[in-house]
Amino acid sequence: MPTKELSNPCMECKDVEATLDIRKRQLCSDCYKRFLAYKIIRRTDGYRFKKNQSTRPKLLLPLSLGVSSSVLLHVLDSQIQRQLAKPIGAKVPFDLLVFVIEPSTIATSDNLHQQNYDLVLERFSTHAHTRLSIHDIFDYIPDMKEVMLEYAGSQFVDDSSKSNKDRLAAFRNSITTATSQTDLDYVLLTRLIVAVAQKNECEAIVWGDSDTRLAAKALAGVSKGRGASMTWQVSDGMSPWGIRFEFPLRDLYKTELEQYESLCQELSGVVIPDPPLPDNVLTKNLSIDELMMRYVQTQGAKYPGVMANVARTANKLQPSSSDDSITCSLCGGLIGNVKGNTGVTVTSQSGGNQGSKFCYGCIRSRPDPTR
Amino acid sequence: MAPTACFNCKEARAVIIRPKNRHKLCRACFIEIFETEVHETITGANLFFRGERVAIGASGGKDSTVLAAVLKTLNERYDYGLNLVLLSIDEGIRGYRDDSLETVKRNAQQYEMPLTIVGYGELYGWTMDQVVEQIGKKGNCTYCGVFRRQALDRGAARLGIQHVVTGHNADDVAETVMMNLLRGDLPRLSRGTSIVTASGGSDIKRSKPLKYAYEKEIVLYAHHRQLDYFTTECIYSPEAFRGSARTLVKDLEKIRPSSILDIVKSGEDMAALVPREVSQSGKSCKSSAAVEEEATGGCGSQNGRTSGGEMAAMEQQLAENEAAESHETEIQLPKKVNGRAPKVVKAQTLGHCERCGYISSQPICKACTLLEGLNRNRPKTAIEVGIGMEDEEGSSTLARQMEQAQLTNS
Amino acid sequence: MADSTNGNSAATISITVEFTGGLEILFSNEREHTITLPARLSDGSQPTISYLLQHLVEHVMKDDRKGLFIMEDNVRPGILVLINDADWELEGEENYELQQGDNIVFVSTLHGG
Repeated sequence: MPTKELSNPCMECKDVEATLDIRKRQLCSDCYKRFLAYKIIRRTDGYRFKKNQSTRPKLLLPLSLGVSSSVLLHVLDSQIQRQLAKPIGAKVPFDLLVFVIEPSTIATSDNLHQQNYDLVLERFSTHAHTRLSIHDIFDYIPDMKEVMLEYAGSQFVDDSSKSNKDRLAAFRNSITTATSQTDLDYVLLTRLIVAVAQKNECEAIVWGDSDTRLAAKALAGVSKGRGASMTWQVSDGMSPWGIRFEFPLRDLYKTELEQYESLCQELSGVVIPDPPLPDNVLTKNLSIDELMMRYVQTQGAKYPGVMANVARTANKLQPSSSDDSITCSLCGGLIGNVKGNTGVTVTSQSGGNQGSKFCYGCIRSRPDPTR
Repeated sequence: MAPTACFNCKEARAVIIRPKNRHKLCRACFIEIFETEVHETITGANLFFRGERVAIGASGGKDSTVLAAVLKTLNERYDYGLNLVLLSIDEGIRGYRDDSLETVKRNAQQYEMPLTIVGYGELYGWTMDQVVEQIGKKGNCTYCGVFRRQALDRGAARLGIQHVVTGHNADDVAETVMMNLLRGDLPRLSRGTSIVTASGGSDIKRSKPLKYAYEKEIVLYAHHRQLDYFTTECIYSPEAFRGSARTLVKDLEKIRPSSILDIVKSGEDMAALVPREVSQSGKSCKSSAAVEEEATGGCGSQNGRTSGGEMAAMEQQLAENEAAESHETEIQLPKKVNGRAPKVVKAQTLGHCERCGYISSQPICKACTLLEGLNRNRPKTAIEVGIGMEDEEGSSTLARQMEQAQLTNS
Repeated sequence: MADSTNGNSAATISITVEFTGGLEILFSNEREHTITLPARLSDGSQPTISYLLQHLVEHVMKDDRKGLFIMEDNVRPGILVLINDADWELEGEENYELQQGDNIVFVSTLHGG
């Protein structure tokens, strides 16, 4: 029974002043954190140590050291810590493998984020951790070299005497447009993350994409001809590599995750702030991914519900039923049309797609010999 | 800069870079390749049969003018044996339609096709000028779009024609895909990309032979063939395209010109991934053709292109849904919810309007609902043909007005 | 900024500029305009399409809705530019150097179908 008068009590616990506003509800910071954590945990609820299983399910959490994936780590870690703190019969639902691809090996100029990583190891020590560079992809996926050579075409020369790092840099440099570079970087990241998950026998990958990011990803993917891949790139579902992809942050906006981060001591010093979106760059020089991120953020400020709708809609798509379909040797996407699609875009409009090892989306990002 | 030779004939000066493959073509090769591709679309999708009577929905604008010109050319070149006619809608907007209808009339002579003009006034008892007088300029595009959709079908039915072709191009289809993603409209996502859509109560087939043609190429085709087309922004919807999915699609084209067809490809694939219970809902019509019901908004004269205002309306709707939802489930915090529940998707059932018989997801179709609102508020003095006692709801049904409608042949 | 009213530069070039596809509304409903530009700008360079765009917005376009024609200092996406009937992408886009007698066409693709 509250004895003190609160001018604006938390709508949840009613004991404390509300300090935060989320979805038109005023909450105190503790309830805010609980609210967000609940929205996240209910999405990983399907993964639990069941009686008839001999081992706990293992989930791979790709940590970019950005806000979203760091918050995801914090929430799942707190959940596991709560279980561990119980005296007897601790029911830890799953094991986490935290996987970092060293950000400096993806972006060109950044310094190593050793301090941030050391803090992650120190503060989230319960879990297994792995860190690799993006060019380790050659070691983890043996046929990557051949795939890359075939993809990049005759103008690209791979010098195997060089380091993996230089070879990957040469490949990425052969891709001419910002859109294609961003597109392929995402493909390579996904491939490496999946390979690490496979090697460590993970059941699923829990991605740290916020609702905002998923909306931008869906719009960009569709714009790049990758609509058929939405069932695992944006939806929760089975990836082409037999590992499930889950997006537990799908109900949360980026701004809400930032709010959560600011309330967590454990995350200070861990998170690398996002590089600001280029706002003085001409539209035509943006990548499609950047354009869509900009669109979702600017429109999302006015119409948050509409943007949330995008990822929700994509999540309702059902994966194609045919198992005999051939997949792209680069991105894992479907080659040709989804069963039931009688459109002619592939056959008569993009030419030379038949018998290709690569899907429509990857062919679009391929270096163009005629330019 | 030295002139570039044509990629195809290697001789003439290239004047065009094709957005989809960056091929540089001369005028003659471009025109021929453009036509050939439309022909391939037509034969690939089996759009027509010999002897078929086909109505071209003609607005006098670039898309329908190019469609008419190309269809005439192909019908002769490949001997389709089609009987082509032009069908125009007169929304009744003074100073706007007058000029574009003049263009259509010239087209009819140029292409030697008979022309029929159907007026909103005759069909609904309301011209757009009168609608605007009643409700103001805000929101009138909804009326226009809804009325237009049915008007083409009604006009075709009057002529005993079963097939209406429209000038929707790849940009329009791409925009529709994006819009349906934004508005979360799965049923439309599943059929918005179809080249053929079966339509309302009259079993009229609709198709879009220019579905894979870039708007840019349509404009260039019209330019290089010096086609006579008309362009004016509708006076009731100035700057209708601002802030819309349309702007987004144009920005995308600037970044990667192929992206318009890439979106069409994505849209076609996603349509096949829409759960069956959604995509097949209300599929009473035979064949694999998708069902297309009335559009909820947008300006018909712009092929239902999106407006900025639509986003705001959508947001409001979604916010209401979310509020309702959070009251039900989210207030109580930790409560067991199955994280991997099967995906629940609400199906949409299509039936027929109780009043006019047009296909509709509601008991009363959008047009009849709109008409009812208009007629209820109409000043008594302004009652016109076909609308009887205003207190008797059923009397103003579209069906009855249809029966009384007179078609203007010119 | 270089200006065509600069009295010292006697040499000028004359080009025709056409607006179609609905753009003519923004230019006093005139489809065809004859435009005179200095043959050399103050920095010695030749006027380009970029220069022409600026000139059109400042001196020819009476309509206030500049954003319907220009965006990010360039032609708004959805407007095609033809240089002597060829797509401007074949001619170097906004960096094309204008020649005496050139015909430049701006076509909007954004209007009615």
